Amino acid sequence: MSEPFTNEPIVVGDLPRLRDDEFVGVDPRYILGQLVGLGFGAVVVAAISGVIARQSGDALWPAIVGGGIVALLVAIAIAVTLEARRIAYQLREHDVSLRRGVLRHRTETIPFSRIQHVSVGRGLLERWLGLATLEVSSAGPDVAVPGLSVLDAERIKQTVAQRADIDTDDDRPAGQGNRWLPPAP
Amino acid sequence: MIDLTQPQRQSPLAIVFLGLRALRSLGVVQLAVLALFLVRGATDGRFLAIVVLVVGLFTVTSVLSWWRYTFQLVDGELVVTRGVVRVDRLTVAVGRIQSVAIEQELLHRMTDLVKVVIDTAGSAQAEFTIDAVARPVADELQRQTTVDAGPAATLDPASGAGRTAERIVFQHTPGRLAVAALTTSPWAGLALLAPLLALDEVILEPIADQVTAIAPDADAASLGWWLVPSAAVAVAMFVSLLNLGRVFLADWDLALRTDTNTVRRTSGLLSRTSTTSTIARIQVLTSRRNPLQRRVGLHDLHLSNAGQGDIRLIGCGDGEFAATAALAGLTAVDHLALDRRVQPAEIWLRVRNMLVVAAVGAAAAWWFVGWWAALAFAPVPVVWWATWRHVRTFRWSLGSEIATSKHVIASSTQQALVHKANAVRVTRSIFERRRGLARIEAATAAGTITIGMLPIAEAEAVRDVLLHGVETDRRAWM
Repeated sequence: MSEPFTNEPIVVGDLPRLRDDEFVGVDPRYILGQLVGLGFGAVVVAAISGVIARQSGDALWPAIVGGGIVALLVAIAIAVTLEARRIAYQLREHDVSLRRGVLRHRTETIPFSRIQHVSVGRGLLERWLGLATLEVSSAGPDVAVPGLSVLDAERIKQTVAQRADIDTDDDRPAGQGNRWLPPAP
Repeated sequence: MIDLTQPQRQSPLAIVFLGLRALRSLGVVQLAVLALFLVRGATDGRFLAIVVLVVGLFTVTSVLSWWRYTFQLVDGELVVTRGVVRVDRLTVAVGRIQSVAIEQELLHRMTDLVKVVIDTAGSAQAEFTIDAVARPVADELQRQTTVDAGPAATLDPASGAGRTAERIVFQHTPGRLAVAALTTSPWAGLALLAPLLALDEVILEPIADQVTAIAPDADAASLGWWLVPSAAVAVAMFVSLLNLGRVFLADWDLALRTDTNTVRRTSGLLSRTSTTSTIARIQVLTSRRNPLQRRVGLHDLHLSNAGQGDIRLIGCGDGEFAATAALAGLTAVDHLALDRRVQPAEIWLRVRNMLVVAAVGAAAAWWFVGWWAALAFAPVPVVWWATWRHVRTFRWSLGSEIATSKHVIASSTQQALVHKANAVRVTRSIFERRRGLARIEAATAAGTITIGMLPIAEAEAVRDVLLHGVETDRRAWM
């Protein structure tokens, strides 16, 4: 028997607030990972520019284009550093929130009851740095919290999965879900 | 009662459909070449043997494909088995099915068969299609996969016990459809001409040649001033007629039906379509009306559902709008206290941005066209007026549902039950931060309702109320 639905007036001032000072920042190694990735990109661009300049005998245009790209990468590095300092998450009893954005500040909250799936992803750089990205999916928007330590990411994933009463990648049996199956014997 | 727990096959006529589909996959050019060979005396025995072989191959493949394709409902799952060489089995939990549409194209109508399009929220496209199915089988499949999936369903799939009678919410008459067609933008009617573009060499070029032959010496200067307005009127009448035809073809006998758990839209003249969705999966109700529609009191409605299978209803009167809203658990807009407004800062923001773009454009154009470059500033007053009008007419409210309405030239409303929100977002641009403003977005599984230019304290309060509503309301949201 389901509980009867009521719709009593609520006092807005009494509602729990999503307080800005209770957000948790991401691991500082996340900035390092981002900068290493960009630095690698800059080295590749510089190397290609050097090869082209050597082959063509004209150093001016490869230097201008390569320099432009490297300058762009530097600007991106600054933005990434500022962005990383803004990225923060907050877990409450009933929802998970992510704050991010430098020019445009965004705070997104997904209630646990609307979460469809939660997983932890680790790219090459993240594995090297011991970091992970928590990916939370709903039927509407998805939220990805990067720059978490592996331990934190796994803890948060388990907490979210438990509170949302959903499966994670770890405990989903093979073949379950909406996918093509091999023919039955 | 059709027992869907037993494997069901498509109608044997599906073999024809499969054969035609295989032929179509050859491509237009190849088919044209084949037809030319056949028509223009291809009497060579070897060629005929090849044709017979190809046709035979298509026939055998089609028969085998039909024979190997079965579908059934087993333990709350729809199981489709198909494939000749490699057998594939698709299983979809009935509870995951978002919508089931029954379509009847021209060929289907000639053979009294239908196509069933089944969608889950798992992908952007429809999940799969079962073509050439007998109507009773399709109806039963639609009933058992949507009614049975509803949150309050008490249906016994075997006996049908607990099934509530379907009632018609509204049904449009041809007169209503004609009014609806003539009050909407007529340009959609041009879609009927699209197939002609593929045949331009056959149809359009001869027409152009005929025109040239009738008036070989005609030029623009020798024609009267009345030609332009006359041509405009003629074009407007022509596209309006086309649009009338399009609406009659697509929306003939448009009806909205409902029972306890589902809502079903049926329409179509040559091709009948029937789209069913559970009521719980309706996320957002949007209504739009242009000035003409406002004058005749009609709305275009859009029920956004989770997954595919959105329901679009044209030419709805106020009563039909209210009935549709009530179906989705929403309040008629007329009865909503849409009394909250937004800050006028957006006017300055948009005009400033437009001025910057216009200044840059004018500076660039100056070198080429001189003072004419000042025309780049022409859109500025338009942007000012449109934004001023938007800010002046935008209203919103938040109770058990979140609703917005606006009225610039066309007017529109958006409504969603608060507990349908999947995420709540507060965003603040630099401009908004300087003025202590923010934008709030309530994202559902099928659309987002946005309210911009709110004081930050109000935006955060709205967020808290929305989250409280979502987290405390135990009603089914999908």
